[in-house]
Amino acid sequence: MLGFQVILNGLVLGCLYACIAAGFSLVWGVLNVINLMHGSFIVLGSYLAWGAYNTLGFGPWTTLLIAAPLFFTLGYAVQRGILNRVIAAPVLVTLTLTFGLDLMLNNAMLVAFKADYRRMILDPPLGTWSWGELVVPVDRVIAMLFALLLTLALYLILRRSRIGRAIVAVRLDREAARLMGVDVPSIYATAFGFGAAMAGCAGVLLAMIFPISPISSGTYLGKAFVVCVLGGLGSVPGAVVGGLFLGLVESLGALAFGPEHAVTLSFTLLIVFLIVRPHGLLGKRGFE
Amino acid sequence: MSLRFSRRPASRSLLASLCIWAGAAALGLGSFAASAQGVIRFGAPLPITGPLAPEALKQQQGYDLWAEQVNKAGGIKVGAKKMKVEIVYTDYQSNTPRAVQTAEKLVTQDKVDFLFSPFGSGAAKAASTVSEKYGMPTIAATASSSQVYDQGYKYLFGTFTPNDTLTTPLADIVKLKAAGVRKVAILARNDLFPLAIAQEMEKAAKERGMEVVFFEKYAINTLDHSAALSQIKSKAPHWIFATGYINDLVLIKKQMADQKMEAPVVTMIAGPAYQEFIDAAGKGAENITSAAWWHPSARYKGVDIFGTPANYAKLFREKYKSEPDYAQASASVSGVLFQIAIEKAGSLDKVKVRDELARMNLQTFWGPVKFGPTGQITSLEPPVFQIQNGKTVVVFPAAIKQGELKLGVK
Repeated sequence: MLGFQVILNGLVLGCLYACIAAGFSLVWGVLNVINLMHGSFIVLGSYLAWGAYNTLGFGPWTTLLIAAPLFFTLGYAVQRGILNRVIAAPVLVTLTLTFGLDLMLNNAMLVAFKADYRRMILDPPLGTWSWGELVVPVDRVIAMLFALLLTLALYLILRRSRIGRAIVAVRLDREAARLMGVDVPSIYATAFGFGAAMAGCAGVLLAMIFPISPISSGTYLGKAFVVCVLGGLGSVPGAVVGGLFLGLVESLGALAFGPEHAVTLSFTLLIVFLIVRPHGLLGKRGFE
Repeated sequence: MSLRFSRRPASRSLLASLCIWAGAAALGLGSFAASAQGVIRFGAPLPITGPLAPEALKQQQGYDLWAEQVNKAGGIKVGAKKMKVEIVYTDYQSNTPRAVQTAEKLVTQDKVDFLFSPFGSGAAKAASTVSEKYGMPTIAATASSSQVYDQGYKYLFGTFTPNDTLTTPLADIVKLKAAGVRKVAILARNDLFPLAIAQEMEKAAKERGMEVVFFEKYAINTLDHSAALSQIKSKAPHWIFATGYINDLVLIKKQMADQKMEAPVVTMIAGPAYQEFIDAAGKGAENITSAAWWHPSARYKGVDIFGTPANYAKLFREKYKSEPDYAQASASVSGVLFQIAIEKAGSLDKVKVRDELARMNLQTFWGPVKFGPTGQITSLEPPVFQIQNGKTVVVFPAAIKQGELKLGVK
C-alpha cells in the first residue's frame, strides 16, 4: 500500500511540476530566451492569490481570471520594452538581462513583502480524499486539474489559433516568418506574455500548497529547468511528461534511497539526459 | 519591422558606476568620521540579504532595541564618563566565507571596539578565527553547537546552551506526561543545527527506552515531503519529531494534515517559537511542542537594563508592534553582557573586558548568565513550550510553566 501511496504522491507532484515548467519551456523553446525571472513570476502570482484571498476574499480560481491577463500584460511589456532590444544577441546576453531583471524583481518583492514565509490558509480547508488507506489532498488535485487544463489550453492555442501558428512559425524560421508578413517582435512579446501568464497562474495555484516567500523563486526555477530538459524544450506535452517523470522519480527515489537523496537524484537525471538524450523525452526540433 | 540592437557606448555607463562608487565611499567615510568621538562601536556582520534575511532582521531588532535603550539612559559608563553606543552592520549575503571577510573588515577597517558573531553555528565558528587573531571579544547570539566553542579560543562567548539542553527536557516531559509514547519518528533537515538537534533527540529517546522507528534526513530546498511522510505514517509513530526552519516546518505540517497523519506528540524545532510559524501554520499549529532558549513568560529578575522578560517584551512591543522571541532576546542580551562587562572593567581594554565576560555570574532578563570554560553559557534551563489556542504556552520547567502538556496533534 505504501508503494501505491508514493506513486500517487509522485503523480500529483508531477502535475504541479508541469504547471511550474510549461511557461518556462515555451519561452525557452520559442524565443531561445532562458527567462530567469520565471521563478519570481510564480512567487508574484502566489502573492497575488494570497493578497486577493485575505483582502478581497477571492478564492484562487477567481484570482486565476485576474492573474492570467495581468501577467500576460506584464510579460508582453517586459519583452516588448526590454528583451526585444537584445533578442538577436547571443543567448548569454538575454540570460544576463533576465538575471538582472530577476534580481530587481526579487529584491523588490523582498522589500514589499519581506522574506517572511506566509501561507494562504483556506477556510474551510479543502481537506483530503481517501480510498481505504490511500489519501490525496484535494487542493493538490484541484491544482493538478487546473494545471492540466492550462497546459492543454496553451497547447491548443499553439496548435489551432492563428497567433499560435505564428509563434510556431517564428520558432521554426524567424526570417521566413518575417517574409510572410509575421510581426516578429509582437509575436515574441505575445509568446513571452503567454509564458508569464502560465507562471502567474502556476503561482496562484501553488499558493494553496506551498509557503510563500521571494526566497522560493530559485527552487521553482531549478525544478522548471530539470522538467524542461527531461521533457524536451519548447514542447508543451513535454513539460507534462517531464513533470510527471520528475515527480515519480523523486517520490520513488525518496522511498528507495531516503528523502535526502531525492534532489540529488533529480539533478543526476538532468546530467544523464543532457549527455544521452539532450532533446528530452518528447522534444523535436522546430515542431509543435 | 526589424529588431533593434542596443549599441550604446560602454564608457558612459562606466562613468556613471564610478560616480556611484565614489558617492558611496564618501558617504561611508562621512558616517565614520561623525562617530569617532565618545562612541563605543559594535560590529555586527549579518545575512541582511539572501535566504537568511529573516533571521538577520530579528538580530538587528534585538541589537537596535538594546542600543536605543542604552543611549536613552545616557550610554555605557566607562570609568568616569558615559559613552554612547553604535552598531555597525555589514551584510554578508548569507554566504559564510563572506561572513569571515566582513568580520575582518569590521575589525581592521571600521575599527569597531567589539564584535557580535554572524548568524548560526557554522558562520559563528568560521568567523571566530578572526576574533581570536585580533584579540577581539565576541559574543555569538545564535550559535548552540558545542563544536563552535571547543577550539580552545579565549575571545568567543555564546548565549545559547548546547543542543542537548533542548532535547533532554522535551524527552523528560513526554516520558512523564505521556507514558504511552514508545515509537519515535525523526525527520531532519540535512543542515548543521537541524541535524545536530535531531541526533540529540535520537539519543534522548533511546536513553528513555523509546524506539526510534524512522530517522531520515531531507535535503535543503526540498519542495515536497510526501514520500517521507507516507513512510512515517506507515510506521504509526507516537511521537513525530521534525527539524528544519520555518518554511520546511510549515510545509511539513501542511503535508502531514494532507496525509491525515495524527500523533499524540508532534515536536518541531526551530520555528514554533516564532509568531510567523503560528500565523503560517494556522490551526495546524495546535498542540505542537518545541523548545527554545528563552520565552517572554519566563520569570527572571535581572540586574541589567531590561530587568525582566516582561519588561523586555513591553519595550519590544512598543518599538516593533510584535512579540519578541528568543532570537531577538538573545541579540539584546549579547549587548547587555558587553555593557555589564565594560562597566565592570571600567575601560574599553579588550583583555579586561574579555576577563570580565569570562568571570561573569549574574542574573539578567535572559536568565542566569555564567559562561563555561569554553565560552558557551552553561547556566540556562531552556523552556519547553506548546502552541495552545494559537499562543505559545510554557509547559516545562515547573517553576515558570503556564499550562499542562496536551496530547494529540491533528
